Amino acid sequence: MGRPDLNRRQLLAAAGGLTVAASLGFAALGTGADALASGADTRVRYWNLFSGGDGANMIAMLDAFRAEHPDIDVKDSTLQWGNPFYTKLAMAAAGNRAPELGVMHVGRVAGFSPGRLLDPWDETLLAKYGVRKADYNPALWNRGVIDGKLYALPLDIHVQLCFYRKDVLKKADLLGDDGRMIPVTSTDEWFDVLKKARSVQKKGLQTIGLWTNDQNFQWWFFVAFYTQLGGKWFNDDNTEVLFDTDKATQVLEFFRKHVTDGYVIPGAPTGEQFINGAPFTWEGNWSVPVFSGAELDYGATPLPPVFGRQATHAESHAFVLPHQSGRGGATNEAAHELAAYVCTHAVQWAAGGHIPAYTPTLSTAAYKKLEPQNEYVSAMDHQATEPKVWFAGSTGVLAQDLGPVVVSSTMGSAKPASVAQTMKKHLTKLLASKNPMDGRTAAQGGAVA
Amino acid sequence: MTTSAQTVIAPARARTAVATATVRRKQGFQHGGWFVAPFLALFVLFVVWPLLRGVYLSFTDANISGDSANFVGLDNYREALHDQAMWDALGHSAYFTLLVVPCITVMAFLLAMLAHHIERGKWLWRLCFFVPFLLPSTVAANMWQWLFTQGIGLFNETFGLTTPWLTDKSYAMLAIVIETLWWTVGFSFLLYLAALQGIPGHLYEAAKLDGANAWHRMIHITLPMMRHITGLVIALQALASLQLFDQAVVMMDFSPGPELSTRSFVQYTLEQGFTSYRVGYASAMSIIFFVIIAAVALARMTLLRNREEGTR
Repeated sequence: MGRPDLNRRQLLAAAGGLTVAASLGFAALGTGADALASGADTRVRYWNLFSGGDGANMIAMLDAFRAEHPDIDVKDSTLQWGNPFYTKLAMAAAGNRAPELGVMHVGRVAGFSPGRLLDPWDETLLAKYGVRKADYNPALWNRGVIDGKLYALPLDIHVQLCFYRKDVLKKADLLGDDGRMIPVTSTDEWFDVLKKARSVQKKGLQTIGLWTNDQNFQWWFFVAFYTQLGGKWFNDDNTEVLFDTDKATQVLEFFRKHVTDGYVIPGAPTGEQFINGAPFTWEGNWSVPVFSGAELDYGATPLPPVFGRQATHAESHAFVLPHQSGRGGATNEAAHELAAYVCTHAVQWAAGGHIPAYTPTLSTAAYKKLEPQNEYVSAMDHQATEPKVWFAGSTGVLAQDLGPVVVSSTMGSAKPASVAQTMKKHLTKLLASKNPMDGRTAAQGGAVA
Repeated sequence: MTTSAQTVIAPARARTAVATATVRRKQGFQHGGWFVAPFLALFVLFVVWPLLRGVYLSFTDANISGDSANFVGLDNYREALHDQAMWDALGHSAYFTLLVVPCITVMAFLLAMLAHHIERGKWLWRLCFFVPFLLPSTVAANMWQWLFTQGIGLFNETFGLTTPWLTDKSYAMLAIVIETLWWTVGFSFLLYLAALQGIPGHLYEAAKLDGANAWHRMIHITLPMMRHITGLVIALQALASLQLFDQAVVMMDFSPGPELSTRSFVQYTLEQGFTSYRVGYASAMSIIFFVIIAAVALARMTLLRNREEGTR
């Protein structure tokens, strides 16, 4: 074979050149198209993590906002929930390509380098659009405050609930005159309720769904009941671990008893079992649309105060302002306006089961009509939360380290007392470890309001 | 010419080929160089540079935001070697490898024998055994996740079991092993089938004339002829299995499995980098893993060379 002739080489070069030119052209087209798509002068890019029913509710609220504010162009992007979302948000903020508005779990804010990856809210601007601290649960509002500045504006809280089948409980005589589950105030009473429910329930199903081998749920339940016992995590300065292993053991033994007494089938799909007739399941409030969609006769209360005090685990979706070096002006104000609008028009959001954080919503007639939301709205006043440290938050390092340990106790592969010790060891190690974002420990972190 | 003769001749021929290529390259680098350039550019950009950058990052406390990284010397390595969670994760990857490699090797050989000897519908057997390998890992893992789901899964139903495959720490890894067997055995099967077809028929003929029965022919002809390919299958499988990640993550819904029982080394590295945002530490762990993988590959090469020298 001879040497390839010049023509072929030219052809190759031309093809390569064309490809490059075309991709550049498309890139240019991409940026141009955004600007051309609407005549609005102010563009708010908004990243959220809501899919499914939540996604549909959010889009409806955005559409309502668009209709009322034709001068603001809202470009929303829905990213997948979980760690990838936080990674993308962090890298976008670090690379100065951040959107004007984002959503995070409030527990993650302390570890998200507020001040460097997040910009603070302008409370005067928020007030201009109708959002004031006075309209929020103070403890919830303060979770978004770091070093005296507001970094997270709560949209909702989402809580762990005890779902129950009214049709089954009625047979066991466990419903009060108001048609709701009779209140339970001790572990003995609770197991008594389970026993009665089991005697009338459909055979072959579990009595209660506990997510016994899910590290996230087990961790959330632990936080709830440990708080009911008045357990503490660290001292106020975050220099000392105050984790009470006796209280922790009590909680872990309480979980384990559900398994040893046979109320739980480990690994059984909790939602399906409940829909098929299992009397109880502990789930996040996001299961409300699922169970309502299945047209079940059910109710939902905050997790039962078996240790004598109301407290259920609560996390919160909150609006944040990802760091932009030139943040300010009309786009920043539009971001404030959009966030305030969604917070103050959140009845639709409540349909997804979440409790709107803007409290005036909770006393509207529209919200009061929502079943079973009106039954667990009190959870707003009894929130059990993770400590406010950089390693906390939804699917964060704390949950990732401690969740599997709780599971090992509930599933019986480790003794509750020794698991409580292990938890304390993890907490001690975490408290001493440095936040990779700024090289400071929780004590040095200043992440306290 | 026999196959064994071919393998002896092959290295010599390869040497000649290399020599010719070198001469050719001297004639005109420009010509060949331009053809390689596009690949080389991408290779440097997406493989060489990240690798070097990873080595550098492993000596720093870099985080995900990419700024203010300090040089910390060997701190990351020191911490990793004392990190029980890392050793646990390495243990899970090793356990998986120890289960998968022998199973796949034996199963692939048996399936190849079956497909080789069955007269009718040969193509169908080959297709059936090989086709799962063509599925993307996520599809295969998702299918098996459903098959293993307690209460509604076909697997338990078929065998009359109630095993909590995906939710109990004693079964979770086994579930992943079973899925991996089904999914990847086709590749080794194909290697074995090709090797079986490469055995010259006259060897069997001669053995038959000498009165060897089927068992003897298997032991004294087939198995010895499979030695090289078995070494290859084991090495390839071991290297692939140590890098366990995608099927485990998909089957466990992106969690590290019940009580962390299926958290592989790769997954733990990912968590350190993208949950804990410790890019420097994650880089150090990647380098440690790279050394382990390289050691396995080297061990295999040394073994092979010794064996070849032994046969000479």
